[in-house]
Amino acid sequence: MNLIQTNLETMFNPEIVAVIGASDNSGKLGFHVMKSLINGGFSGKIIPVNPGSPEIWGLKAYPSINDYDDRIDLAIVVVPAKLVPGVFTECVEKNVKGIVLITAGFKEIDDPAGANLHKEIANIVDPAGIPVIGPNTFGMINFHANLNASFTPEFSLLKKGKIALVSQSGGISHLLGFLAMRADAKFSKIIGLGNRLNVDFAEIIDYLMDDSDTNVIMLYMEGIDNPMRFIETVKKHRNKKPVIIYKTGSSEKSDQAVKSHTGSMAGKHEIYEGAFNQAGILVLDSAESLLDTAKAFASSEIPEGPGVAVLSGQAGPGLAACDVCEACGLKIVSFEQLTQQKINEYLPPLALRTNPVDMGPAWYNASAQSGIVRAVMNDSNVDAILLLIMFASANANLLRKLSEFLTEFKQSKPIISCILAPPGVWDDDIRRLEEAGALVNYPTPEQAARATAALWEYKKIKVRNNF
Amino acid sequence: MKIINEAIKKGQTALSEFESKQLLASYGIPVTREALLEKEGNLIKTADDIGYPIVIKACSPDISHKTEKGLIRVDIRNDDEAKIAFNEIIADMNGNERTVLVQEMVKGKRELVAGLTRDAQFGPCVMFGLGGIFTEILKDISFRVAPLEKLDAMEMMQEIKGRKILDSIRGMDAANLDILADILIALGRIGLENKNIKEIDINPLILSGGKPVAVDALVVLGV
Repeated sequence: MNLIQTNLETMFNPEIVAVIGASDNSGKLGFHVMKSLINGGFSGKIIPVNPGSPEIWGLKAYPSINDYDDRIDLAIVVVPAKLVPGVFTECVEKNVKGIVLITAGFKEIDDPAGANLHKEIANIVDPAGIPVIGPNTFGMINFHANLNASFTPEFSLLKKGKIALVSQSGGISHLLGFLAMRADAKFSKIIGLGNRLNVDFAEIIDYLMDDSDTNVIMLYMEGIDNPMRFIETVKKHRNKKPVIIYKTGSSEKSDQAVKSHTGSMAGKHEIYEGAFNQAGILVLDSAESLLDTAKAFASSEIPEGPGVAVLSGQAGPGLAACDVCEACGLKIVSFEQLTQQKINEYLPPLALRTNPVDMGPAWYNASAQSGIVRAVMNDSNVDAILLLIMFASANANLLRKLSEFLTEFKQSKPIISCILAPPGVWDDDIRRLEEAGALVNYPTPEQAARATAALWEYKKIKVRNNF
Repeated sequence: MKIINEAIKKGQTALSEFESKQLLASYGIPVTREALLEKEGNLIKTADDIGYPIVIKACSPDISHKTEKGLIRVDIRNDDEAKIAFNEIIADMNGNERTVLVQEMVKGKRELVAGLTRDAQFGPCVMFGLGGIFTEILKDISFRVAPLEKLDAMEMMQEIKGRKILDSIRGMDAANLDILADILIALGRIGLENKNIKEIDINPLILSGGKPVAVDALVVLGV
């Protein structure tokens, strides 16, 4: 492991964190970083640094990190850009292991002074092998360490889980974080790369591939300086963990002569997508499907094949799911004879009894429903189950009964569901089912079907690459 | 490559269609049977050798967008038509090197595009998609970074929305995916082995029966 990687491990799991530019003034980012650390429940030491105040957030503050006697593992820097070189020099002297540089005003600004400053601070930390997340980032969060090193305390509302989000955009990180709160997706880490002084996607991929808290890596990318370094890094890990990506940013206008179609068609975006495919990265086309897919990877096994059974409480949602399945390369399989016989015992002839199965007529009979799910689960044609159930007032207790046997199955095959009720009615039951690993739930049948398709797509990538 | 070096020596920024196809053919890419003529004298014999119907095109590294400039005659069926077409094109090529390309008329309704672009960050990248006018209208294309493995080539063909064009449809043969894959792999190789090729554009790449043939091609040079 090289120095940057060793230091990344320390900076994500620090014992002593300094906030350089900490503040008691809620108009300053230094205030919100302190709030994130303290309210996020960080159990290590927090050292506020600010020459102007003896105490910040009730903690003893220091004029500079040199005035603090013990070591510092992580420094979160929120001082104005022009002060950063001085602060970085002090960090090197103090042997700080990692820096989160929230300050903006470097390479990203029009003024060439920004790019010069960028180079200047890189030259200070690079020889010391100190990883810097940022500049121009909201920060990073390591949920399993209760470390919220960002200026958004509310990220700590997210639950601990297996998804690592790495993003080039603060806005998209917040969007995905807030969506995830509603979708109950759970995170290991959220990392805002910002303007990538020396920690780029490649370094973070290396780190997360060995991070035992993470089992799926989701990326948001706009465009990077050295994409092939990133591609080669992902390739090197040979799909050890799924890497999924949403990339925005249409092609730069190329200035080359429009003599050839190939030249003018060479949207950078399409080349990125082609390269992602070659590296075994799953490409998604929206923030929503990126999150949905990450949630599926975090909580479900990957189906062995494309065969799907669609079991729905009402016919319509089942048909909606079937449409998406077929369009996305999944197969609505025929059941084995034995399975079909059992289903026919549970359901009267008036229902859709072949795939998709309309379980409506067994609506008030939990044991019939459980029998159907069990039969389908044991069917060798079926690789995954889509379970779609809409709340009905007359049947509010249904989910409780279903929960018993769904929990018992523990997804011996992936169960991707759309179980939906008015807010507050089934929320706790669904959450319990998800936490028990019984299913992965989505707000629409289409999203559930697309998430299943993404799992299958990834299975194909793995098989193709012989990984 | 000799063709490229000579073209650069002459100050060309692109290879002519004839030169482009010679380069492609040297990498095993199937191209139209064709001959380059300067004088009408050889026209009838050449046309007979290739066999009617034929296509006659202006051919000069200085002339691109031959269709827009009206410098192509297609579906020429006999000696008289050939002579008229030849003379009209020569007359319209004012100012340029007066060479004319006589080539077989490839029959096939399905037009594809294949090409290469050298990206500053990714290096040579191979492109595949729907050809002819659909290239511009639908922009239904996919890319892979060179070098390509056969799987990459197979996947990029399956990635375009119009992939069914490669199937056996309306009585037409299914496209020979092996030959298509070889073409895409070869394009990647050309890009890797010839640093002074900036772009390659094979459009249309026509499916004749199921077999792809490069009907028009352009190699753009640059450093």
